[in-house]
Amino acid sequence: MGNLYHNKIAQWIVYVVFFAALTIIPMTVSDSFLLNQLATYGVYGMLALSISLCWGFGGILNLGQGIAFGLGAYGMAMTMQMQSQSESNPIPPFMLNNSLDHLPLLWQPFQSTAVGLVLAVAVPTLFCAAFGGIMFRARVSGPFFAIMTLAMLSAFYTIILDRQAYTGGVNGLTPPSSFVFAGVEVDPYSPTAYWVVLCLLAGATFVAKLITQSSFGLVTQAIRDDSERVRFLGYSVAGYETVIYTVSGLIAALAGCCWVMLVQYVSPAQLDVGFSLSMVIWAAIGGRHSLLGSILGAFIIQGAQSYLGDAFLATWLLILGGFFIVVVRFLPNGLASLVESGLGLFDRQRPTSSPAPDGGRPMPAE
Amino acid sequence: MDLGSLINALILGVSIASIWLIAALGLTIIYGTAGVINMAHGELIMLGAYSSYMLQFYLGLPYLLCLPVSFVIVALVGLALERGLIRYLYNRPLDTLLATYGVSLVLMQGVRLIFGSDPKYLAVPEIFQSNVMIGSVSLSVFRIVVLLVTALLVLALWLLFYKTRFGVQVRAVMQDKEMAASFGINSSRIYMLTFALGAGLAGVAGALFGVLAIVLPTMGASYVVQAFLMVVVGGGSLAGSVVASGVTGELQSVFAFFTNDTFARFIIFVLIVAFLRFRPQGLFAQAGARR
Repeated sequence: MGNLYHNKIAQWIVYVVFFAALTIIPMTVSDSFLLNQLATYGVYGMLALSISLCWGFGGILNLGQGIAFGLGAYGMAMTMQMQSQSESNPIPPFMLNNSLDHLPLLWQPFQSTAVGLVLAVAVPTLFCAAFGGIMFRARVSGPFFAIMTLAMLSAFYTIILDRQAYTGGVNGLTPPSSFVFAGVEVDPYSPTAYWVVLCLLAGATFVAKLITQSSFGLVTQAIRDDSERVRFLGYSVAGYETVIYTVSGLIAALAGCCWVMLVQYVSPAQLDVGFSLSMVIWAAIGGRHSLLGSILGAFIIQGAQSYLGDAFLATWLLILGGFFIVVVRFLPNGLASLVESGLGLFDRQRPTSSPAPDGGRPMPAE
Repeated sequence: MDLGSLINALILGVSIASIWLIAALGLTIIYGTAGVINMAHGELIMLGAYSSYMLQFYLGLPYLLCLPVSFVIVALVGLALERGLIRYLYNRPLDTLLATYGVSLVLMQGVRLIFGSDPKYLAVPEIFQSNVMIGSVSLSVFRIVVLLVTALLVLALWLLFYKTRFGVQVRAVMQDKEMAASFGINSSRIYMLTFALGAGLAGVAGALFGVLAIVLPTMGASYVVQAFLMVVVGGGSLAGSVVASGVTGELQSVFAFFTNDTFARFIIFVLIVAFLRFRPQGLFAQAGARR
């Protein structure tokens, strides 16, 4: 029996225990603001998960994950904005301020909540499928693809900034009331919102975990390690890359929807280069080859930013940047690789390792 | 629309192109030679602007002298960065991208701690603040200075790369590091010097941008993506970056003439992505370079 870290059963147990621990939180936390904040960490966890899936398991470094996140968030914000408009007053106020006297065609589908939700998820996913398909078929990969995603992200950022009458420009969209779905109002500060985010995070993680363990996932990992060899073996490298990139985009789009549901706000800042890069930092620090590691990376970094950030307000970015440099230089596979080598030591000392039910990975501090 | 205003747009385009080019010059050298994706380039530009500010504020150096001194200061920073971090990452190009992003966070916050986040201004000689008429377009003298400095630097770099022994060595390392090493070229030293040179060029760009825009700790972030695109479109060679900046600068100016600045930038980004889809090696792929 090898390193417990690579034991699939142990991994699944750790995943289940991790999410079981997260379900307990709303029962113990009564502060609704804290609950809302924890739910936003769940959104960041989804983003780190999506980066881990496409970068750690597909070898595609995506610096433009903000596109999928941002488009999802804008779709959701438009849906919520239209929910608060009535028959007699169908035009959102910011459009009136920009002297638009009719609802633009772009906004009309969002009058229906169901259609709006579908669009909020489908548009970014289809964009990823199209963009990825075009790029990967041209064999754009590695650092080059990273720069292309940066360019695309900047393009979206500028167009949203520029079309003020349609997107709210630099102010973004601030839907005035919380999201209503099938007659149920999802108060962002209620446990319901937390459950929604947690369910999506857990669902996305389990799907991603299944993908990485399937034969499909094994091929994408082979592409990550040596794409030429996989191509010579007769696999459609571009096809595999497009699919994993699209799935990752889908998760980010869902995260975007959840994020707006929680904070009732979206602006071009969500498509800023810095935000997309911080998603990569979460995954890199947590360990991009581990889905759970990436999620924990997001929790740790964002949690530290909220709690240490107040104490070290001026030096927080300095600490984060320095820490990130150290991780990239000395721990290219992130903190999860520490656990891996730690369990490896454990394994060598006791060759007949007893499968500890919770011994796979450290539990979150929460 | 008349022909006159289109010509104005073209003249302005030359100025825009020179700004884009000087931001991209240092990156061209670093990416072209060592394949390092230096996300801290924008912050090196910012350091150049702050060096000039310090030189003016504390030493009272005249502005034109600040340019070469900023070059030296930022080149030294680049040298330290290369020795301390980048040289361990040459065989991991994606990790250079991540590590240098960490560096950019550190530099940005470090400068903010030292100088605060309030804007600083660089003083320039009286004559640079005036405007001149070229044809029917009014252009500030300083933009012409930027154009001249850019042209001078491109010429100097061309001489350095194609007319000196050092240049031959750099190009040899670029084409095949192992082969060059077996001919007795110290490739580690070449990488170190080119990284310092590239950083120094960012310093000069910063000293110029500090006048065009205000000096802020965050000023670098806006240049880095654009500079990268110039380098990638150009294919990593000096000539490529010159042509790429020229064409995109002109296109930006013409599109901005028909629509507005932001929308023009959007079109440029989309065009660049489309262009790279069909020509991933850029305008002028280097003969025998890797990839």
